[in-house]
Amino acid sequence: MSGVDKHEDVHTLAGEYVLGTLSLSERQPVEERLTHDEALQQAVMAWEERFLPYSALAEPMPPSDYLWPRIKRSLKTQAPVHHTPVAQTAKNRPARPRLLNSLPAWRGAAGLGLAAALVMGILLAKDSPVPATPEYMVVLLAPQTQSAGWVVQASTRQRIQLIPLGTFEVPEGKALEFWTKADDWQAPVSLGLVEPGRPIHVNLDELPPLQDNQLFELTLEEETGSATGLPTGPIEFIGRAVEI
Amino acid sequence: MTNEGVTNEGVKNVDVTDVANEFDHAAVLERCARGDHDALHQLYLQEGSVLLGVVIRIVKDRGMAEDIVHDACLNIWQRAASFDPSKGSARTWIFSVARHLALNAIRYRDREINIDHSDPAEFEHDETFQHALRVDEAFDWQTGQRMDTCLQELETERRNCVLHAYVDGLSHAEIAAHTGAPLGTVKAWIKRSLLRLRECMA
Repeated sequence: MSGVDKHEDVHTLAGEYVLGTLSLSERQPVEERLTHDEALQQAVMAWEERFLPYSALAEPMPPSDYLWPRIKRSLKTQAPVHHTPVAQTAKNRPARPRLLNSLPAWRGAAGLGLAAALVMGILLAKDSPVPATPEYMVVLLAPQTQSAGWVVQASTRQRIQLIPLGTFEVPEGKALEFWTKADDWQAPVSLGLVEPGRPIHVNLDELPPLQDNQLFELTLEEETGSATGLPTGPIEFIGRAVEI
Repeated sequence: MTNEGVTNEGVKNVDVTDVANEFDHAAVLERCARGDHDALHQLYLQEGSVLLGVVIRIVKDRGMAEDIVHDACLNIWQRAASFDPSKGSARTWIFSVARHLALNAIRYRDREINIDHSDPAEFEHDETFQHALRVDEAFDWQTGQRMDTCLQELETERRNCVLHAYVDGLSHAEIAAHTGAPLGTVKAWIKRSLLRLRECMA
């Protein structure tokens, strides 16, 4: 793209970002730039305004009756720090923080939350080997097959156990890495590498207490774990914490 | 620019007679920023099904779409204070939050599949495809906005590409597969369509 007008580039990039044709690896730097690049922010917002009327081409779809109660429940767990008086935030803030940042796409793969909850119901109904009474439980499903691969159970909100429900073939030179992320965290946190077929205990001492809806996933990473500190490989298993 | 016309008076005292009035997205965001749960609920009642419709169209999975609308609502709630009405409309901002969550989610989901290194520059001159077949409109797309005129000026197949991207969340590769046009051609079309749309809207 050498020789192309820089100015034009910003608008084209912004347009492609808004249209959504960029790949994940192309979107991420754009979102990063949006945190501080005023020209790009303006260009993106201009495209958003131009295209918004065409969102009406998608037919409205009434949400299920469960969605609002779920949102309301999540709202209650939100830290109150966000709600300083408006006078101190929107009005006086020197630079607008993040125009269009979005939580990492990581959580997007979690359309499995409800499925996990259902599977969990079944597991609990049977002869569950659950000792004591865990406050939270997560069933990690394989995204492709929707089959349950692991269960996370928490005996306290600081200590969890990851229990395999079967075996998993890890390719040569690769390893399964265990991650978690609550709704209001900026990025997932690694809980370490996992050996297929082996249960592990994890202390969450350095993390906030486990919360409802918190995401857990196992991704396939290099043998020594993700070098970036963030999941990079494909998701093998994923699920959300359900309060019991 | 201050947020004139969005005084809180009328909004705080919402009563039934106000329902017919234009929904004030900016005022609702302002109330969310102050921690008013009821404001988010009003927004949800007003836009929930529209947002879900937009997101389902992109992710094509209802469960995942509801997850994304859930996340979008929390996101809107958390970031309401950062919304700056001088930089764009509140409704646009609200929809952009949901759309980009949806786009990130599908790009993340499909990131292993769409490996594509072709350079659109190679295809800049590939104009043959468009003559190879007659192209039908993929959308009943006229909305009565000024942008209609600009979209109208694009060739049908290019307009289809742009709308498949915006409405259906299709990637370059998916648009290519969907329309039968070569990948590089699709990329070049979209880039040039964006240039022309911007010129037209200027």
